[in-house]
Amino acid sequence: MLHATFWPSGTAAVRHLFFLPSLLLVGLVSFVPLGYALVQSFFRSKYFAIGRFVGIQNYIDLFTGDNGVGRVINTIIFVAGSLAIAMPLGIALALALNTKIWGRDLLRSILFLPWLISTLVAAMLWSWLLNAQFGPVAATAASLGISFPSLFTSPSLAMPTVVVVSAWYSYPLVMVFVLAALQTIPADLYEAAQIDGANALQRFAVITLPLIKNTILVSLVLTSLAAFNGVTLLFVMTGGGPIGRTETIALKVLQEGTKFYRMGLASAGSIVLFALNLAVTVAYARVLRGSHEGA
Amino acid sequence: MMLARRFSWFGFAKALFLAISAAFALLPIVWGLSTALKTPQEIAAIPPSWIPHEATLINFHRGVFTPRFFNYILNTVYVIFFSTLITLGLAVHAAYAAVRFRFAGKRLMLLTMWSTIMIPAVAIIVPLYQLAVACGIYNTHLVLVLVYSAWLIPSLIWLLEGFVAAIPRDLEEAAYIDGCDVVGAFYRITCPLLRPGLVAGALLIFTNIWNEFILSYVLILSDEKRLVQVGIYNFMTDSSIEWGPLMATAVGAIVPILVVYAFLQRSFVRGLTGGIVK
Repeated sequence: MLHATFWPSGTAAVRHLFFLPSLLLVGLVSFVPLGYALVQSFFRSKYFAIGRFVGIQNYIDLFTGDNGVGRVINTIIFVAGSLAIAMPLGIALALALNTKIWGRDLLRSILFLPWLISTLVAAMLWSWLLNAQFGPVAATAASLGISFPSLFTSPSLAMPTVVVVSAWYSYPLVMVFVLAALQTIPADLYEAAQIDGANALQRFAVITLPLIKNTILVSLVLTSLAAFNGVTLLFVMTGGGPIGRTETIALKVLQEGTKFYRMGLASAGSIVLFALNLAVTVAYARVLRGSHEGA
Repeated sequence: MMLARRFSWFGFAKALFLAISAAFALLPIVWGLSTALKTPQEIAAIPPSWIPHEATLINFHRGVFTPRFFNYILNTVYVIFFSTLITLGLAVHAAYAAVRFRFAGKRLMLLTMWSTIMIPAVAIIVPLYQLAVACGIYNTHLVLVLVYSAWLIPSLIWLLEGFVAAIPRDLEEAAYIDGCDVVGAFYRITCPLLRPGLVAGALLIFTNIWNEFILSYVLILSDEKRLVQVGIYNFMTDSSIEWGPLMATAVGAIVPILVVYAFLQRSFVRGLTGGIVK
């Protein structure tokens, strides 16, 4: 109530002026293109002319057309694969870095490095590192008598390769988030549990895990959305090849819109991407709220 | 005795795990750096060597210290400067309003703002390109500044909200008693106290724009207007690809981020983890 007494003399206009410019710019750059994509997705558009109305044909083409099903599968493998490596790795590294070890600060900085490097540079470095003809890994393998396969042109190996690179720059975020959460856990909780006779595993299950659960969830959502929406890595390393084996929905949107100029199809893909982002975020908010109530 | 021994095995496994992970993290970076320091003859040598026999800076001379690459850097700095100005300027007001003010339609406005984070860049990149052409701002730095600012403002508001909430209200109330109005108190009392938050925010903006590739690739056409990342990509796709200078530019592009991170690590991590974990 004290606040009400002294509460600012600014008019309603002043208060709105603090918030509105941000909203205006963000809304303009976000919703106008999204609305434009929504409208365009119902038309067979090429280049800049809105073509004839085709109903949901673009959406049907996106999923049934050339490589339609494969693209969905690729997207799932790419996201799930990135998570399957980045999440356990990030969490394990955070747990290891949260203990007393020699050279901890240096190790943390080294392990954080991939996050500081742009996706473009990362894709470039890995491309050359793993190049079967000129790359050092292939040369080292050859000197040991192992023949190194051409990863980026192999239909079965291209996807696992890009997944590993995606995990390489995704795990540091998980690590930093979980480490920050771990450091907020007061040490006396563990001491009390130790006095009560809890072993290391029990202490982890009863104290650590519940307290970092939400942070893990947050980094899980951020990492999966980043993989889901990420195009730079695939664009630079494989361009969706070989024979469409690394083509995801996001990459398809980019290629249709900026290479083939089939704007209708690209827009349908845009709307699908947005819908999935929306679904993931809403589901995540539900889960997070649920876990807050449970706690 | 048993316990002590098992513990040391655990410690060994942990050290091994950390060492392998660190090698995994460093591998491509070390390779890039090693290549950038090699002579052209050694780069062409088969099999390639992991460590250069004689280190040279010639690739940096031919890749990074060229008028063309210098122009990319200049363009990037220019775009970052204006994006930071707009993003921080708008976000600090919005964050303050979100924490301290009550106004009509606030809930709806906040909801609208947050809902934009569910729109990924790749979903609007094609219409953005079309609209930029239609508005006559395609292939300008202006369109990048606008798009980058709009992209970063929600996260900056989120970050700064935490910093605003941490400032005791008593300070502003004291200013009101001294005759300050709400705007005066914000600029004179709150803003200076928000400096750590603004620094963390500026770092976040800098790293995000410096490392961004796909938006500037799609929205900028001419070489003299390109930003650093697209410039590097272009070196890569040039028909006469020269790995040495290319790797030098890649390593060169990492350096500013590393320097910033080395000096301002705490602000950096705070900016990254933001409101999630305090």
